[in-house]
Amino acid sequence: MIKRTTLRLLSPALLVLMILLSSLGLSAQEIQGDAANGKSLFNSQCAACHKLDKKVVGPALGDVTQRRSVEWLTAWIKNNQELRESGDADAIAIFEEYNGSVMPAFPGLSDQDVMDILTYTIEGAKPKDPVPGDGTTVVVAQEDDNSTLLYILGALLLFMVVLLARVKNTLKSVQGDATTTMLEDANVFTRTALKNPRVVTVLTVVIAVVFLQQLYVGLMAVNVETGYQPHQPIKFSHELHAGQNQIDCNYCHSGARKSKHSNIPSANVCMNCHMYIQEGPKYGTEEISKIYAAVGFDPETGSYIEDYEQKPIKWVRIHKLPDLAYFNHAQHVTAGQVECQTCHGPIEEMEEVYQYSPLTMGWCINCHRETKVQVETNDYYEDMHAKLKEKYGPDADITVEMIGGLECGKCHY
Amino acid sequence: MAENKKYWRGISELENPELTQTLSEQEFPSQIPADEFLGNEDNLDSTHTSRRDFLKYMGFSTAAATLAACESPVYESLPYVVGPEEIIPGIANFYASSYYDGHDYAAILIKTREGRPIKIENNKEAALNGGANTRVHASVLNLYDSTRLQKPVVKGQESTWSALDQGVMEGLQAAEAAGKQVVVLTSSVLSPSQKSLIKKLGAGYTNFRHVSFDPISYSQKLDAWQEATGKRALPLYHFDNAKAIVSVGADFLGDWIGQSVSGDYAKNRKPGKDMSRHLQFEAGMSLTGSNADKRYKVKASQYGAVLVNIYNEIAAAKGMTTMSGSDVMKAEAKAAAKELLAAGKKGLVVCGGNNKANEHLCIAINAMLANTETTLSYVNRSYFRQGDEKAMQALIADMKAGKVGAVISHNLNPAYVLSGNADFTAAYKKVPCSVAVTQKYDETAQISTFVAAEHHYCESWGDFAPADGHYSLQQPTIKPLFSTRQFEDNLMAWTGATGSYHDFIKRNWTSLLGGNDWSTALHDGVFVKSSSVADEMAADTELESGLSVDLAGAAAMALASAKDAPAMEINFTQMTGMGVGTIANNPWLLEFPDPITRVSWDNYLSVAAADAAELGLKNWNESNGALNGSTVNITVNGKTLENVPVFIQPGQTIGTASLAVGYGRFGAGEVADKVGVNAYTIMGMDHQAAAEVAAVAESKHEFACIQLAHTMMGRDIVKEVNLDTYLNDDAQNGHDGWNEPPIFETYKGPLVGDDVNLWDDFDHETGHMWNMSIDLNLCNGCGACVIACHSENNVPVVGKDEMRKHRDMHWLRIDRYYSSDTTEETAEAEGLGGIEMYANMEVPSESPEVFFQPVMCQHCNHAPCETVCPVAATSHSAEGTNHMTYNRCIGTRYCANNCPYKVRRFNWFQYHDNTVGMFKENYAMNDDLGRMVLNPDVTVRSRGVMEKCSMCIQRTQLGKLEAKKRGEKLKDGQVQTACQSACDTGAIVFGDVNDKESKVFAMKQDKRMYHLLGSVGTQPSVFYQVKVRNTKA
Repeated sequence: MIKRTTLRLLSPALLVLMILLSSLGLSAQEIQGDAANGKSLFNSQCAACHKLDKKVVGPALGDVTQRRSVEWLTAWIKNNQELRESGDADAIAIFEEYNGSVMPAFPGLSDQDVMDILTYTIEGAKPKDPVPGDGTTVVVAQEDDNSTLLYILGALLLFMVVLLARVKNTLKSVQGDATTTMLEDANVFTRTALKNPRVVTVLTVVIAVVFLQQLYVGLMAVNVETGYQPHQPIKFSHELHAGQNQIDCNYCHSGARKSKHSNIPSANVCMNCHMYIQEGPKYGTEEISKIYAAVGFDPETGSYIEDYEQKPIKWVRIHKLPDLAYFNHAQHVTAGQVECQTCHGPIEEMEEVYQYSPLTMGWCINCHRETKVQVETNDYYEDMHAKLKEKYGPDADITVEMIGGLECGKCHY
Repeated sequence: MAENKKYWRGISELENPELTQTLSEQEFPSQIPADEFLGNEDNLDSTHTSRRDFLKYMGFSTAAATLAACESPVYESLPYVVGPEEIIPGIANFYASSYYDGHDYAAILIKTREGRPIKIENNKEAALNGGANTRVHASVLNLYDSTRLQKPVVKGQESTWSALDQGVMEGLQAAEAAGKQVVVLTSSVLSPSQKSLIKKLGAGYTNFRHVSFDPISYSQKLDAWQEATGKRALPLYHFDNAKAIVSVGADFLGDWIGQSVSGDYAKNRKPGKDMSRHLQFEAGMSLTGSNADKRYKVKASQYGAVLVNIYNEIAAAKGMTTMSGSDVMKAEAKAAAKELLAAGKKGLVVCGGNNKANEHLCIAINAMLANTETTLSYVNRSYFRQGDEKAMQALIADMKAGKVGAVISHNLNPAYVLSGNADFTAAYKKVPCSVAVTQKYDETAQISTFVAAEHHYCESWGDFAPADGHYSLQQPTIKPLFSTRQFEDNLMAWTGATGSYHDFIKRNWTSLLGGNDWSTALHDGVFVKSSSVADEMAADTELESGLSVDLAGAAAMALASAKDAPAMEINFTQMTGMGVGTIANNPWLLEFPDPITRVSWDNYLSVAAADAAELGLKNWNESNGALNGSTVNITVNGKTLENVPVFIQPGQTIGTASLAVGYGRFGAGEVADKVGVNAYTIMGMDHQAAAEVAAVAESKHEFACIQLAHTMMGRDIVKEVNLDTYLNDDAQNGHDGWNEPPIFETYKGPLVGDDVNLWDDFDHETGHMWNMSIDLNLCNGCGACVIACHSENNVPVVGKDEMRKHRDMHWLRIDRYYSSDTTEETAEAEGLGGIEMYANMEVPSESPEVFFQPVMCQHCNHAPCETVCPVAATSHSAEGTNHMTYNRCIGTRYCANNCPYKVRRFNWFQYHDNTVGMFKENYAMNDDLGRMVLNPDVTVRSRGVMEKCSMCIQRTQLGKLEAKKRGEKLKDGQVQTACQSACDTGAIVFGDVNDKESKVFAMKQDKRMYHLLGSVGTQPSVFYQVKVRNTKA
């Protein structure tokens, strides 16, 4: 305890020292590596237990190069057990300080890798300088050019009409005729046109067709929720998890392979990682703490709160088929080998998930008409495939339709 | 003169001239008194709401409402916080468990979805009672009955468990202090752990007694076996070894001694050289009697005489001493004896009723047949019935005398089942501390000081030892829904035991399992411990020598009983759907039509047509087909049951009447209460009694009977052949007169149904082709399939009024037909004309043969329904099933009208989420708790759409998917329909006929195969197997 408090007291002093040293260029000379590579290595190998600015499972690493020598760190990172067994006092002390939690050995890291990681710990810990003017400059969007052009054209036309009217009136007054205003002209023109039955018929037909077409489009869109993007109780980013971190969809939505439902993961699945990753890149601890509130986890002590009344997270459902349609994820994901993205779109790019597909019956049917069945790779289809080859020819693509995928009862029962 | 004449416009004007005057003045309605509610002109002017304002507001609110309606609702999805490992949402889990309610016992599997039990399946690994009956299949619904007790009740007030425990403990101690008895009153206890806890409780009190009593008592039968073998237990019967079965009044396929024998019985009912022969002597038409090869009508009081005669015939043949016989059923008894003698060791005689003498005669006949350990075993005995009526009577006397200080009742509703015993209720009320452990605020709970609200069995732990060597476990499949406690937890609390009942069972089982794994036993649900062969042999010889029966005494009693047979005798029976009424508050069971009478929502007195005519009783139909019946007052031993509806039953013995118990509840819950009459009020310990039946003049009872035609009118709807003809028939495909396929005359010449086609057929060769075979020889009409279908497919309950209008929604029905004395041949011989012939054919025979035929959608490959649907809501699949798309259906009902099998069901009303009037009965769909039983894989249908059997398409789809997931071919038996898996006898076989290895393919090639109404040419995917009765040509 005493030691920890001393360390805590010392750390601001160390920080000052570090800044001083780095300004002198001492450590920069000593530690030179690729910070970008270091960052990716750090995220993949170290981030589960370490952060730069905060103690998690292991100590904060932002200032580690100030505390330890590079040689010592390299030895520790590559195989800390060996180092401890060699009787290194520092190594044993730090091991005991963290109650004997074992840090795995990383023999796969080269000296350069370690150097890169250490570089990242220095670079990453530096407070980011705000870029002057960043985010304040308004850049006129490229697509706006067209509309500006149209406005100019419109104004030009209007100008020409006014000009013509003035010319006409000037000519009339020269002839000695009574001049008419533009409004009067327009009035006369409309009346003449409306008295012509052909014009009226054509106009009626055009209006009726446009109205009906719009009505049809409107009605067909009832309950089609493409693009539905509700705000979720937790600002969970698929872009970060599935996109950047490349977490497999099935890790969280594990039901998709086995069951009709692709379940929303229960909060304990989140905790598998977020037990250690307590801060996100965008919202910091704010969003992650909502998981802790649900399960009753105290990030300070790193333990679950006893007798905590757990509160389920109320996610907002995005994809919903009507109850009269039966849909089974396993059928599509496991049997059909359909990619998640086929229906859910570029989910790995979505910061906030929206409904990508219309989920209409026409959309389902269309896919069933076009999609090939995995007849070659799944033994279930063996006999059926032999018969289907006789029927459609040996090289024909067997679509879902050919095996009864358009029958009503396959989805409605 | 003429002007003096006065004309009246009607009698009323003559009688009351003023009235007409007033009426004529009011010919036109008076002005609407707008001033009354609008007030005067000034008032109107002073208000700020003008007509224009009103229109503006109305316009705005209409527009706003419309716009608001355009917005889609927001759905929330709440995942688990900590997901249970064993639950994957969308995938069902099955748990092996056991069912026991004090009367029915079955080893079962409980299907759960997301932690909710939703269906009961048979435990096919169980060697004993693995086939659940209708009640057990329906019992899952009772879990979600909101009228269950939700809290303990103390002195009529909802209370807490600590208050109840304190009160009970004080009561028990007060009883002990006063030197009074402490009594535990139960039905037969099958659980060894429960028994040891009762014993433990008893050890704490000086005057402790445990009294067992069965709602339908078999006490005398047990006494008979006690005298014969020294042990008060009934033998285990092995119907699978029996080649000749003579049952004297034993309804062993319906309700008998608790052992489920229908599966074993069916094993020898497949036609062939070794098909068993079954003779039945009985009073009323029972499920067993209707399946017999030959059924004889005899009064229940004469069962003993029949047995004496059978004994004499066999004894004479074996050269043993005979006794003086009776002239009752002499020739028939001789025929029965002949069958038994021919079968020898493989013969079996069983008897019904609660009669010691009859049972002794049975024991003696079986001993002569030397069938011990082939068709019955008293080495391994069953314990389903242990009740002791003498102990019960002694208890009532003691309670009356104030000698009892505390009574704890469980699994028995004594105030209901003993409602015939006038003393019981009064005596029970005298007990200072009465504790009812029950799920409902039932008849007993209402007069008890303490009511310990009990778990449903799906929430309880338990173990059972239903027979020697047979053990089973019960495990909870859901967290208790209410603040309830299971009986054993109460016992543990009241004995101060610590730990959970689960641990208690586990400890008890350690020695029993003898090194076998507890988890395996729990997984299987059943555990069989075979005693060593040496033990069995020792027991056997001991018993053979020890079998002692007072034959002469028994025969004398039997003959006396037969001689004194009353002119009118009433038999107390049980209905297939209700049993003894333990789980009566179950809309599925109440709506289940009885297999014999096809009546639902009622019990009734079955009488023979001759008796009905004599007493002036009748059944008649209204113009819409609804059945009405007269009512009677029944008097037994001075007690009268009034207004009992009468059903005229073909096959009922003249001079007898049958009335089922289990109805007329007044504490079961709002669905079952006041349905039917309470037969217990006139029932004693015996299953029959002399009765006086008096017709109630001008009486009319409205039945809900869903079958109008009771005979086949000379058509071969159910094809039947006798065994001789069947065996001697060499022709392939049965072209020997008994199963000729219909021939169609076409331009191509005569063709069989399958080859006639107007359209291009589907390709039924590729992929699966689902077919179903129903063996009419194996179907005994028990109806387990009907309830299984109900539960699997979210079939709604419509209530009595709708059932009466034949608007039943059962996707699967079991038609029952009686044979008629008139056939086309007899009519020709008698020279009857067509109209007369058909009129006579409509009348069932007085001793009819009975046919059961399960009928569901036949999935015609040339379906008449499909061609008439204007919106293509019903269509065909390449897999041979007929699809019904509810969301497409607009309710024209053309399809139902064009269906020759009448299997389509129309939703005349909204049967779900509808608590208006008659539909509240179906709590399965109409309250939040009840809805938990719904199968989430099947759509709940809405008003105005047609529905029908889908051949459990959700199950076929799931089976295919599982095979695809495994990457294997689908094997025969991996897909089972709900009705098939509920069928204990294997009558229903479902599978893919394109799989040449499949059972259903073999059945399709069988010469017994025929299509229902084959002459219509519908080419159904469902086919039947001709019924073969084991009779001579």
